[in-house]
Amino acid sequence: MTRFILRRLGGLVFVLFGVSIMTFFLAQIVPADPVAAALGTNAREAQIEAYRRQLGLDQPVVVQYVRYMGRLLQGDLGASIRTRRPVADDLRDFLPATVELTLAAMLVTILVGIPLGVVAALRRNTWIDAAARILALIGGAMPIFYVGLLLLGVFYRQLRWLPGPGRLDSTLQPPTTLTGLYTVDALLTGNWPVFTDALAHLVLPAITLGLYSTAVLLRMTRSSMLEMLGQDFVRTARAKGLSQRLVIGRHVFKNALPPILTILGVIFGSLLSGAVLTETIFNWPGIGRYATTSVTTLDYPAVMGVALVAAVIYPLVNTLVDIGYSVIDPRVRTN
Amino acid sequence: MKVQQPQIFRRWMLGWVLVALLVTACAPAAPGAPAAPEQAGAPAGEAVTRANTLIFAADMTDIITLDPAVAYEFGGILPVGNMYETLLSFPPGETELQPVLAESWDVSQEGDMWKLTFRLNPNAKFASGAPVTAEDVVFSWSRAIDINKSPAFLLTDVCQMTKENIRAVDAGTVELRIPGEASPSVCLSVLTFTVAAVVEKAAVEPNMGDDMGESWLNDHSAGSGPYVLDRWDRNVSVTLNANPNYWGGVTPAMKRVILQNMPEAVNRQAAIETGDADIIQDVGPEQVAVLEGNPDIKLVKALSTLLVYAAVNASMPPFDNPDARQALRYAVNYDNIITLLGGNGELVQEIIPIGFLGHTGKNPFKQDLEKAKELFAKAGVAEGTVIPFTVATGTAPGGVEWATIAASIQADLAQIGIDLEIQQLQQSELLTKYRAQELPMLLMNWGPDFPDPDGNATPFANYEARSLAWRNSWNDPQAIELSKQAARETDPAKRVELYAQLVEYVQNNGPYVMLYQPTQIYAVRNNVEGFVYDPNDTPSISLWLITKQ
Repeated sequence: MTRFILRRLGGLVFVLFGVSIMTFFLAQIVPADPVAAALGTNAREAQIEAYRRQLGLDQPVVVQYVRYMGRLLQGDLGASIRTRRPVADDLRDFLPATVELTLAAMLVTILVGIPLGVVAALRRNTWIDAAARILALIGGAMPIFYVGLLLLGVFYRQLRWLPGPGRLDSTLQPPTTLTGLYTVDALLTGNWPVFTDALAHLVLPAITLGLYSTAVLLRMTRSSMLEMLGQDFVRTARAKGLSQRLVIGRHVFKNALPPILTILGVIFGSLLSGAVLTETIFNWPGIGRYATTSVTTLDYPAVMGVALVAAVIYPLVNTLVDIGYSVIDPRVRTN
Repeated sequence: MKVQQPQIFRRWMLGWVLVALLVTACAPAAPGAPAAPEQAGAPAGEAVTRANTLIFAADMTDIITLDPAVAYEFGGILPVGNMYETLLSFPPGETELQPVLAESWDVSQEGDMWKLTFRLNPNAKFASGAPVTAEDVVFSWSRAIDINKSPAFLLTDVCQMTKENIRAVDAGTVELRIPGEASPSVCLSVLTFTVAAVVEKAAVEPNMGDDMGESWLNDHSAGSGPYVLDRWDRNVSVTLNANPNYWGGVTPAMKRVILQNMPEAVNRQAAIETGDADIIQDVGPEQVAVLEGNPDIKLVKALSTLLVYAAVNASMPPFDNPDARQALRYAVNYDNIITLLGGNGELVQEIIPIGFLGHTGKNPFKQDLEKAKELFAKAGVAEGTVIPFTVATGTAPGGVEWATIAASIQADLAQIGIDLEIQQLQQSELLTKYRAQELPMLLMNWGPDFPDPDGNATPFANYEARSLAWRNSWNDPQAIELSKQAARETDPAKRVELYAQLVEYVQNNGPYVMLYQPTQIYAVRNNVEGFVYDPNDTPSISLWLITKQ
């Protein structure tokens, strides 16, 4: 197991190297000047020159890349051209918001997708199956921005049941930063009003972001369960006189789990990228919005910072999924 | 085969229902719940409630600093201008300089230098309670010069200020010497801007770190203004508290002001409709239509200082010929563009905006296709000539797409056989090409760096300044000389006269088709009073004048 994880981490280094090279050189191809973009229309030529020199952008591309990698190896992501802040500081501020949103959406996906998929399979061709399939259809077909605006329109503007965009009511102060996840931090510090407000603010964006993946997971769970229900070993288990609970829980569900787990890993990655749009609609101060602003201002140290973070998270989640396999499937372990 | 619903799933369902219950249980309480009455960091005295808290929502993605020596973005100048004060300013509605930290000042000539002497108001004190002294002024200006970020050129280039020429004569008197070729009038206008704001030396000096205190000032304030910094949550909001020690004779009615970053227009609209925000900035034409009928909301139109224009490169054919440039000005249907803006812009055909000294108010051009055709023929421009016309993607000031304005001009010229080939680029890419003098024709906007006509006259007319005239390759000795002369003049009446000459000259010879001065629309809840937007004033919105019923 240790060797497996080490091999995975070794692969990660190559991925990071590739990502850094790609983002860096893509930024060079764009026919615009990030410094001019950062300083605006009115900036004088001398100012632009000075800032470019200060950033080392007057050097040849290869020199710039070597310098960048040199700093990166020391754990320094460089400074944003636009905000002049260390990119690491920006990421530290914005990443937790995205992680909180993604985890909440993941929770919605798992809590709705799996049970509903299981029930739909067990109660095949009943009203509950039909309802589940309709939900899967809607969730799969509706674009994120439309779902977001619809939910905001109904539950915030019309009914006023849930708060609007943002992570927290603007009159409340964020909780003391421990993890950066408002709900968790508020809970850990016992700040009840902030916890309920932060949780309420999470509901609509989490549903918006999680709807599509819920649909995917629901279908996957349903078909995987149906496939297992028709297997011989299920019939054998039933014939042995095992209770329904044991048959479904230990035999059917456990065997239906591997493909569900695979899809969960993929879903997590797609949730992270889907977060960009959800963050825009819900005024969510995460790295998605940070990435958008950075791309439009050609702030490539910031873009690279985001790309590197994504490049770490995605393989990491996949490694976790692989470890998960070995827990549920002994065959993977022996191999 | 009928399968019994097993217990394990019942538990699952139960868990699921519990989550749903938890969510709905906390949710309804959230939006309607009153703000916690007293929070950490609340100012002393009156408790902070929603009733004396002002929530201002705008796209503030541009804020990168709250240090007055560094701030140069609209988003940052609003909080900075409400926390820090300058020696003098243009208060709302005033075109003449008024005293703030300086109770009086005078300008005299000393050899080949100008000497500006400021006497500080002895009552002026910082939020800490310490008096504002000449030492603080010298420290603040020297620091802005040393830190040398975006706005520093205002002091070093426009004012031609050097550290050696700023002197504290005594605790209450500051002397500034600038070279004879600099303009003292322009310099005084520059001194109203946040880069010349006074920070408390005793507070900043111990926290200079390795960035001259910039990062410290991002999370603390050290000014004498009506507000102090409570906290800045990057990309989310800036929270200001009323300064309990404010010396300026007014007590801010709003004990707390929250400047909320809300980039999406739809979200801002929802926030003002629900009352989650008290004021929103940048109401687009579609939102105006919706909000106009709302009895709880009033719309406030504020004229910006921006000018939107089309420009041509005066060294590339066909516009290297002045007649072709004049033909272009007669070909454009200005009324059509103003109609497109739906009331979000005023027709302005000169380089000095409404509200500035030297603005003439003359709009001599009206579409005259015959005349345009004649002038193009005189310039030797044949029918069927193709000219690349570059415009940015996205929305122009005034809320209309750049491409829509371009299409209108394209249609005008098509009527006389000139083919404009519209090419869309991202703003930053367009800017790079414009700076490199590569664009034959483009659409752009300009906002002056300081509230003086020179903030427009030099960029538009003086090729040597390497700004707009240079980007359009328009090197005209007469325009250059006039702009220099007008900047140097100290007699306001003579300045007005000189700017009138310059305006007319550029109007008829320059590489520009000046189109309009956009307005910005604010939506304000009806219970909010005292909201004024004045583009000449720093800050443009004086938060301490706002009250709520």
